[in-house]
Amino acid sequence: MNFTAVSIAMAPEHLLLAGIVALIVLDIISGRARAALPIAVVFVTAAAIAAAWLGFAGWTGAPFPGQFVLTPPTAFAKALVLALAVPVLLMSKEDFGEGAFYPLLLSSLYGVCLLASAESFLTLFLGIELMSIPVYVLVLIGFRRPESAEAALKYLVLSGTASASFLMGASLMYGSTGSLGLASFGTALSSPDLLARTAVVMVVSAFFLKAAIIPFHGWAPDAYEAASVPSTAYMAVLVKAGVLIAAARVFGTAHVAEPLVGLLAILPLVSIVWGNLAAMRQPGLRRMIAYSSIAHAGYLFFAFLGDGPGRFQAVLFYLAAYGVMNLLAFAALPANENDIERDRLENLKGLFATHPFAALLIGMAMLSLAGIPPFPGFIAKFLIFKNVIAAGYTTWAVLGLVGSYLGIYFYLRVIQFMFMSPEAAASGHAPSRGIAMGASLICLAGSIVIAVLPSLFLARF
Amino acid sequence: MADSTILTLVLYLPVAGMLAIAALPAGRDGLVRTFTLSVMVVQFALSIILYAHFDPAVPGLQAATSVAWIPAWGVSYLIGLDGYNILLVMLTTFLGPLVTAGAFSAITKEVKLFYAMVFLIQFAMLGTFVAQDLFLFYLFWEAMLIPMFLIIGIWGGERRIYATLKFFLYTAFGSILMLAAVIYLVYSLWTTTGITSFAFADLYKARLPLEAQQWLLAAFAISFAIKVPMVPFHTWLPDAHVEAPTAGSVILAGVLLKMGTYGFMKLGFPLFPDATRLATPLLSTLAVVSIVYGACLALVQKDIKKIIAYSSISHLGYVMLGLVSLDLLGIQGAVMQMVSHGLVAGGLFLMVGMIYERCHTRELAAYGGLAKVLPVYSVFFLILTLASVGLPTTSGFTGEFLVLMGAFAAGWRESAGGSSYALWVAGIAVAGVVLGALYMLWFAQRFLFGAERVPHGPVADLNLRERSILVILVAAVFWLGLFPDSAMKRTELAARAYQELVATPRTPMATKVTGPVPAEAAR
Repeated sequence: MNFTAVSIAMAPEHLLLAGIVALIVLDIISGRARAALPIAVVFVTAAAIAAAWLGFAGWTGAPFPGQFVLTPPTAFAKALVLALAVPVLLMSKEDFGEGAFYPLLLSSLYGVCLLASAESFLTLFLGIELMSIPVYVLVLIGFRRPESAEAALKYLVLSGTASASFLMGASLMYGSTGSLGLASFGTALSSPDLLARTAVVMVVSAFFLKAAIIPFHGWAPDAYEAASVPSTAYMAVLVKAGVLIAAARVFGTAHVAEPLVGLLAILPLVSIVWGNLAAMRQPGLRRMIAYSSIAHAGYLFFAFLGDGPGRFQAVLFYLAAYGVMNLLAFAALPANENDIERDRLENLKGLFATHPFAALLIGMAMLSLAGIPPFPGFIAKFLIFKNVIAAGYTTWAVLGLVGSYLGIYFYLRVIQFMFMSPEAAASGHAPSRGIAMGASLICLAGSIVIAVLPSLFLARF
Repeated sequence: MADSTILTLVLYLPVAGMLAIAALPAGRDGLVRTFTLSVMVVQFALSIILYAHFDPAVPGLQAATSVAWIPAWGVSYLIGLDGYNILLVMLTTFLGPLVTAGAFSAITKEVKLFYAMVFLIQFAMLGTFVAQDLFLFYLFWEAMLIPMFLIIGIWGGERRIYATLKFFLYTAFGSILMLAAVIYLVYSLWTTTGITSFAFADLYKARLPLEAQQWLLAAFAISFAIKVPMVPFHTWLPDAHVEAPTAGSVILAGVLLKMGTYGFMKLGFPLFPDATRLATPLLSTLAVVSIVYGACLALVQKDIKKIIAYSSISHLGYVMLGLVSLDLLGIQGAVMQMVSHGLVAGGLFLMVGMIYERCHTRELAAYGGLAKVLPVYSVFFLILTLASVGLPTTSGFTGEFLVLMGAFAAGWRESAGGSSYALWVAGIAVAGVVLGALYMLWFAQRFLFGAERVPHGPVADLNLRERSILVILVAAVFWLGLFPDSAMKRTELAARAYQELVATPRTPMATKVTGPVPAEAAR
């Protein structure tokens, strides 16, 4: 373990750490930290560029053998997550021009980066906790509603349960395979003994809890609704991405066989169906996105049925498309003094007449999330189901696709509100600020690239 | 040989037009209209060049462009003209300017968005017809939903939201099944031949066991049958038509429905020949049920738009009948019928729009004796009605006649094998012709003759713009009726290819070649 290897291979993490330190120092030195947002954006962008550079340079290294590893795919995973964090930061100017939001978010990002590189269950656990704990606070801050506290507590308790389940699973894994390395999960997957099976189920359940797969989803709609828009966007996209990347690391290229197929197919399928059905009944945008993201978590876990080698690629590609589009919807959402008002779907009525550009962006995002071609969401979904069919689970794939069909309606409803309804009576929305529009333009550019040239991404992951 | 640059131009002109419209200043509606019309006219002019240069003696693709797009999945950007699609491309570009001009006075709100959507749907439809790669085809096929969803939903009538959601959800359901089938098919091609490719030409080589073929055909067929629409999947159509603005109806009847029949001809049947031959009795029965049932429904409608909507179901039944007859004339007749129906139904919907703009009602009972009041209108209406009935010298006759010939030929072929079922089917289809004449003529009689009843009258007869649209349209109807040869020549090789593809067994048992297909077999 030499110093250069550590400093280069962990460059993105180091940059984030530097950013956190800088933000804290800034907070101590000056009470009113106007510079917090620029600093955070600079450091996160730098970290993203560093990760991308590591990926393109094909850098491989294991600064802490057996704990932390860096390969091009993991570097690209980090680059993706960090790049997605930039629009979230830009969006937050409205709600959190200053304060604790930025160091918390960067800490959480550090956790996500750790997840991508984790090589053992210990590092993975550290990453998961580092990712989650700041988010409990993010749900609370900047949003003065009594429900926020309740939702944050709910999330804390359930997330804590997930951590406990994960730890228990990891220790059982250690008991049955004698190693804490991620590879032992693959061994446990194929082992017939009860201890190993229990371990696998506990670890998978922990992932399901964190990713809000039904029946572990109860916290998600409340937490999403209680948090402010940037926090919700962060949870819906980046936390989900972190959990899925962690799951993809744990599963590695292990082949999923019976009886685990049932666990990995039925619960995600139920999530797809129920998430889509429940989303139809939501009056608020954020609850709708919450249920929709439950369904999307279902699609993502479907990727694990697919063949091992293409799994990481499918998950990352899906996260890229899903993340970009979800953030686009959040960023283009017209600002409103009253956060509860801002959230009401009814208030989107007639948006096209007042803010055509925002309406077009949100419309695109909705169609993409619905998986309608030619938007990137379709290509990502295609890749996942292609892998599932190639792995021989045709029936599950068809069921999953039909489940995804159920979701089309509520995405269309948003478009219907924006384009086909007369303007809402109480629409006092100011247009989004330039900086939020900047965020949506970043997402738009990303999504166009994903849709037109998917090969660029596919070749990398 | 047609030129690939021109094809690319024809395909992407609408996109350029859409972007240009977005850049035009708001509130300049007149400018937007003129601009759209000129782009559409240029597009049609370019496609005439394509048509003229299309060499009927060359099999396979012409004006092809092929670029590797997502090599990891075997997806390529592959577009080209063949005898299957040349006429449909012509039909699409021909109707473009007419739809545009027809909507000048009807569309007054969100004009920019409207013409942007017309451009977009034009692009998606053309793309669907010229795509020669299944992934690309699917992208275009689905992309067409979005502009249509907006066209019906924003500029439609009273129950437009319901109608447009119904249209979208119906069609999307078929597409989802098709998607699963597409993935499975490509995967099977890979496992049986080692080729990873979405190109049609490669997929025709896939060897699938009969059971898999049947499942896949069912998935494709449901998707296409919804689009055509065949009975029993037709219930979205009347709603969509009645609520859609005139332009939407014309696009829907004129081109969109043809995407379904085109899909059957280019993909559904040739990809799964063994399953198709097995399902022929079922398919021809459904086609005839569509013919007769559509006609019966058209007979009893009180809304003039609905009459034409149901007549579409009936007329597209003939197309399906021609396709499953597997007889050369029948297949060519089916293509002819597709084009003819596009012209005639499109024209009729335009005319319904014209009268609706004047009288603001689609209630048939409210009208009567228009021939005295609106002589020019009535002449055109009568011509189109007769074309719809299939009067000789009009395009309707060519298509219908050939399809019935094909159906009878198939019937005799079958009866030589001892089954007279197909003959019965052909016989009932002929009865459908009589029914078709009945409802259309009865409609014209109530509409144009009898006691004078003009709601919100007196109204002015057609203006110059409307007359020009109809003159051009009627000229095309007669041209196809009197000189079908030019079009028939161009479809002949494709029809033969289709015939051969569907007639050749392709289960693994019936193999001539196993394992990887040799290079010389790959066209």
